[in-house]
Amino acid sequence: MSDGFDVQGFARDIHELLVLAALRDDAKHGYQIALDVETESNGQFTFRHGTLYPILHRLEGEGLIQGSWSTAGGRRRKVYALTRAGRGHLDGRTDHVQRIVSGLMELLRGPGQAPA
Amino acid sequence: MSAGAVRPFLPALRRLEARLSVPVTRRVRLLRELEYDLEELTARFVDQGMPQPEAQARALDALLPDGDALRELGGLHESLYRRFGRRFGPTRLRGIERGALAVATAVVLAAEAAALLRADLLAHASPFLWVVLGFGAALFALAATSAFSLWVRKDPDVLERGPRGLLAGSALTLMAGFVGAYVELSHVLGLLGRNPELVSDVGVAWLIRICTLLSTSITLALLGALAWFVLHQWLVVLATARARALGFDSSDPPNRGALS
Repeated sequence: MSDGFDVQGFARDIHELLVLAALRDDAKHGYQIALDVETESNGQFTFRHGTLYPILHRLEGEGLIQGSWSTAGGRRRKVYALTRAGRGHLDGRTDHVQRIVSGLMELLRGPGQAPA
Repeated sequence: MSAGAVRPFLPALRRLEARLSVPVTRRVRLLRELEYDLEELTARFVDQGMPQPEAQARALDALLPDGDALRELGGLHESLYRRFGRRFGPTRLRGIERGALAVATAVVLAAEAAALLRADLLAHASPFLWVVLGFGAALFALAATSAFSLWVRKDPDVLERGPRGLLAGSALTLMAGFVGAYVELSHVLGLLGRNPELVSDVGVAWLIRICTLLSTSITLALLGALAWFVLHQWLVVLATARARALGFDSSDPPNRGALS
């Protein structure tokens, strides 16, 4: 790929963007992020086998989301919120993914075919 | 978590913890985060009309990390030192660590001797003083190794190993000082018994010799015990946090090594 597109990292990028998008409006717990992604994508994207946590912790390490602990009903819980850097990353990467998907669809459908 | 609350995911969390190779503090936070999410997700499923066992199974399936996720978490939460040290390879890194420890111990031993030299206490030092100084250097090496493992390398199994040997080393240092003082005292009393006229010549010198030996051994033993206390308390805090996260009785933590 001339623009350096990493095919293997694409799925990971998508999952990261789904998490960032789920946090666009509100801070949420891990389970809420997983539920929202599944619900809003009509079940097309699901997090299984704990794949959510490496993504959350990696995004937190990169400063794209911020985790904070609070206590509710005597229980400690961790809530994640989108940072300014995360919002910028989400916008930039969304455009990037859109270009890739458009190019991919064009390739799959063949030149001159209108989108379905 | 409130005391006595039912915690249905503890068995799964304990199994997970055994496979989670990350520093203890991060491991505890991850387990707490996971347990809260598991309970909340189960409650959501139950609210949607799902039977409790099925809701728990679905929550575990969704949120409990599998082998790949655990490996990724292990890499993400690796200590900076380990990440940096990977450039050298384990054998070379171990060599560098041992070399640095040997140099640091030699420096401490030299500093101990220099302090005694400055005070002019080595001119007629008891041979036992060198034994005590040797124990002091060994105590430093033990404390430095434990502190390095706990705070710099952040070994995941630090709770199992604990600050071993520090208390025993402190006791040995103290014992060497007292045995040395007893031997020195017996010697000088025998000498003065046979030659009472020497009391003004050798009495003060022997007194200084014995006091130097005793004070050095007591100081080094106290420093060793202090290092043990600090490391031990830190490990107790970690062990208690881990016990709470995993529902163990914190008065009977499973990590006997840390508390021995």
